[in-house]
Amino acid sequence: MLKMKQLTQPRVIIFILSLIVLCTLPWVVSSFILRIATGIMMWIGLALSWNMLGGYMGYISFGHGASFGVGAYITGLLMMLLHLPFFVALIISGVITYIFAMIVGYPTLRLSGSYFAIGTWAFAEMMRQLVLVLDTTGGPEGLRLPPMLNDNFFYFVMFGLALLVFLTAYFFFENSDFGLKVKAVREEEVAARTLGLNTTWIKNQVFALSSMFAGIIGGAFAYWITYIHPDSVLGPLIADQMVIMVLLGGIGTLFGPVIGAIVLYVGNQYMLAAWGQSSAYLIILGLAICLVILFLPEGLLSLPRVFKSTTKGAFARLFSPPRKTRI
Amino acid sequence: MFKKLPIRRAVVVLAISCLILSLTGCGGAKTGADAGNSASTEARDYYKVGVITSLSGAEVQGGNITKYGYDLWAETVNNKGGIKVGDKGYQVKLVYADDQSDPAAGANAVERMITSEKVDFILGPYTSGVTKAVAPILDKYKVPMITGSAESPSIWTQKFKYTFGSVPAADLTAISPLETLSKLPNPPKTVAVLGVNDAFSKAVAEAFKASAEKNGITVVKFDVVPAGTDFTPLISAIKQLNPDVLAVGGHENEHMEVIKASKSLGFMPKAFVMHYGITNPDFSKNLGKDADYTFGAAVWTPDLDLKDDLFGSAQDYVKAYKDKYNAIPDYTAAACSATGESFSAALAKIGAKPPLSDQQREELTKTLEQIEVNTFYGPIKFATDGNWYHDNVGLKALVIQMINGEQVIVGPEAMKAKDPVYPVPAFNVR
Amino acid sequence: MGLFMQTLINGILIGGIFITIAVGFSISYGVMHIVDFAVGEWIMLGAFTAFWLNMYTNVDPLLLIPFIALFFALIGYLFQPVIQKVVNIKHRSAAMMALAFTFGLSTLIRGSALTLWGFNNRNLITVLSEKNVDLFGITVPAIRAGATVFSILVTAAFAYFLYRTKTGITIRAAAENKTVAGLMGIDGHRISRLVYSIYVGLTAMSGVFIGSIFSVFPDMGLRYTAFAFFVVVAGGMGSFSGAIVAGLMLGLISSFVSVYMGGAYVFLILFFILYLILVFFPKGILGKGW
Repeated sequence: MLKMKQLTQPRVIIFILSLIVLCTLPWVVSSFILRIATGIMMWIGLALSWNMLGGYMGYISFGHGASFGVGAYITGLLMMLLHLPFFVALIISGVITYIFAMIVGYPTLRLSGSYFAIGTWAFAEMMRQLVLVLDTTGGPEGLRLPPMLNDNFFYFVMFGLALLVFLTAYFFFENSDFGLKVKAVREEEVAARTLGLNTTWIKNQVFALSSMFAGIIGGAFAYWITYIHPDSVLGPLIADQMVIMVLLGGIGTLFGPVIGAIVLYVGNQYMLAAWGQSSAYLIILGLAICLVILFLPEGLLSLPRVFKSTTKGAFARLFSPPRKTRI
Repeated sequence: MFKKLPIRRAVVVLAISCLILSLTGCGGAKTGADAGNSASTEARDYYKVGVITSLSGAEVQGGNITKYGYDLWAETVNNKGGIKVGDKGYQVKLVYADDQSDPAAGANAVERMITSEKVDFILGPYTSGVTKAVAPILDKYKVPMITGSAESPSIWTQKFKYTFGSVPAADLTAISPLETLSKLPNPPKTVAVLGVNDAFSKAVAEAFKASAEKNGITVVKFDVVPAGTDFTPLISAIKQLNPDVLAVGGHENEHMEVIKASKSLGFMPKAFVMHYGITNPDFSKNLGKDADYTFGAAVWTPDLDLKDDLFGSAQDYVKAYKDKYNAIPDYTAAACSATGESFSAALAKIGAKPPLSDQQREELTKTLEQIEVNTFYGPIKFATDGNWYHDNVGLKALVIQMINGEQVIVGPEAMKAKDPVYPVPAFNVR
Repeated sequence: MGLFMQTLINGILIGGIFITIAVGFSISYGVMHIVDFAVGEWIMLGAFTAFWLNMYTNVDPLLLIPFIALFFALIGYLFQPVIQKVVNIKHRSAAMMALAFTFGLSTLIRGSALTLWGFNNRNLITVLSEKNVDLFGITVPAIRAGATVFSILVTAAFAYFLYRTKTGITIRAAAENKTVAGLMGIDGHRISRLVYSIYVGLTAMSGVFIGSIFSVFPDMGLRYTAFAFFVVVAGGMGSFSGAIVAGLMLGLISSFVSVYMGGAYVFLILFFILYLILVFFPKGILGKGW
């Protein structure tokens, strides 16, 4: 059944080798590096889940942080109030975020473009205010989960979740009929509908699926950090980071979000470590985002292509006068 | 990538088996044993001290005040020859980390400080939220930390083993101003309480409410509002109820906005009662005369008659602080500076030379629980049981009133420098 | 009854400040199709500029408004080609790239302000600050009344410019349909540049009022970005009357919810209403948005 020839394809070998390397990581690196690696895995998962909605379907959401926060809070509440074990709580919170996203998605997905972006943002802000006001969630006191301090456990949980999201993106979005349908919605929604696609259903599915992943990752995050607060899991920064990561890496691609998550997370941590006592890293972060968008609009993934084209050509493109056709 | 189905299946099987393998593998992995990594093995003749606080984000202002306090301690210690252990002085070197006012970023930062910077001990965050996120990590690595700022009572009920605080919890201090006012010959009869919806400010507002009820003052309005709210409508509603006192739980920014909104609506209660934030230099600087006569709670003021060997008297400390930062220190800055002194005293007592081993850190933590250190900031003695576990309960809460931009102690009876001015003069006759 | 009237007046005055910002934002969205995350940062920069100028020249910040408006209009004019470059990028979601660009810009401005000027709070004192006028038993804060009146005057002047002058009409044409306007010989780049510079000038100018009503600090922009979004979206992007109605609505909701339901619910209800408006009236409450 398995042909050696296929297994020895360079890409497959690289994929398998990197899986093996990532599995042995905890025994090789220090626990701080492992913590960073866990963070990277989490953000890879989040960026990939956002990319399903924003990249493949073209619905840019600034409220994806709400799913993350809802997942985190539901996991936390299930563990603290009902004393459920972590994995049970995590699965239930995944199911709840899925259903929740279906309900929210139905009206929200009628919007498109900037209106969808602002609508989801308004919804996320509303959720944050709701959690701040409610007593069950601890309000501004936040919520503390039972401490669990096994670094390897969280590394593998996040690694597993990131892998799950990655494989889902690969099989459901990159290489399937469903993926083609989703991309059809992105390219021309009306045309897709005329061709007989049930776009409402497709949009709802993608929204709920990507929200579910964000929710599960949020649940794992809550147990990892052990203390969640409305501002830290429901704040606008969570969704903003997902968007920036995907744009940085390359929107609508499989590896773009992965690269964007790694670069932004590591860069942010490095700058915090290097310029910890001043706020200058905000300048660098902001400048980096602006420069990437100005000069690498296709994301870091297009970097090799830019290098390949002649230096002269690249410079000409960077400093060309704005085109007049689009007003 | 893998177009043929069998290969796909093989990869999925492989990936899943990797997962299962790793999940079973992590059960017996390093956790406790790994903590050994955190102790420094490099030879050095100075103490490496981690400082984690908010240097950006929403709480950047308070975060910098804690940083100033810690910096001043390090500088003073170093100028005086370092921390004396045995007969040799060891210099102190601070390593900073910004928690971005976000608990998760704080947790990352503290892990980095412990595992890659290998700090000997930690001077803690400004906010209570970050403290709560950082504390479990300290318990994991068994590294002691004292926060010179976090005041939320909910930190101490969690009973973290390696986290200490040198400022008494807000619910211990916020009760004093209304208590003092209620003992006046013409006590206030009604109070309106506003609080901002963050952990510290809400605790303060609740303590205001509880102390008012306890002292026979009627609470006519109690409202906890989200940060960034416009106070005008709330003040208008309160103006209609005409309470004798308006009590506000918040930070300097909200306090300023409350005073500005009250003035612009012509609302002048017999007194404004606030807590932390009015001692922040910006409060008086920005509001000028309008800041005067505001009541607040504090655990330290520059006039207290306290001294220690490092900084000299409280007044000497104020002078040193003013020379360096061109501002008057408030109790958070003082507590942060004094926090370093607790560590110095404990280190001297156990004779631990840098770098600290795991065992020495353990000893350090035990010693911190036992010793009482008398500083220019007052006595520091951490509780070892009860609801304020590891919080400094040795300090008395003072009632202060701002007069001509200076904090004057007006209560409690035994400590006061002046009688409180109550009712206070209106804005336009000052 | 007194409280009701007072709440009503407060509400109108709270929302009044944001009308100018919303009008500028709307028109810049209409022409350039950019949702600007840095709107709060322009407010912050305007407030800081007023603060520094006031400190060194002792001129009342209110008198500095025309200067600040012109100065920032110039900055916007000079900066616009960079934004235009992002909008012109040959990319599937160019509008979103522009949005992310403004997010980067806002981080950059905020970080620079924090690094340069420190974290301290500052108070912008004007001649109207903390004064009030008594009107049939209702207290009207002078600075807010001034801000609202000024806001309405500026909006009226701007409306006159848009509907009665030739340049204004070309702007509206470009906002309605760029391609057709281009075919009619309207230079889209010039219009975009003009509109962006007006938007930055108006927003920074509002910063003077906002800074003197509340306080001035580098992180102040974030919360006003939220309010500006509310007014623009609820009013319908590009709608003048919508912006005014939505601004008043923002103020009245904040005011009435604070007084009659409790301050805790203000933002919860505001965002809930914004969400409902978006879902049911995506073109704004008056249905006049682009």
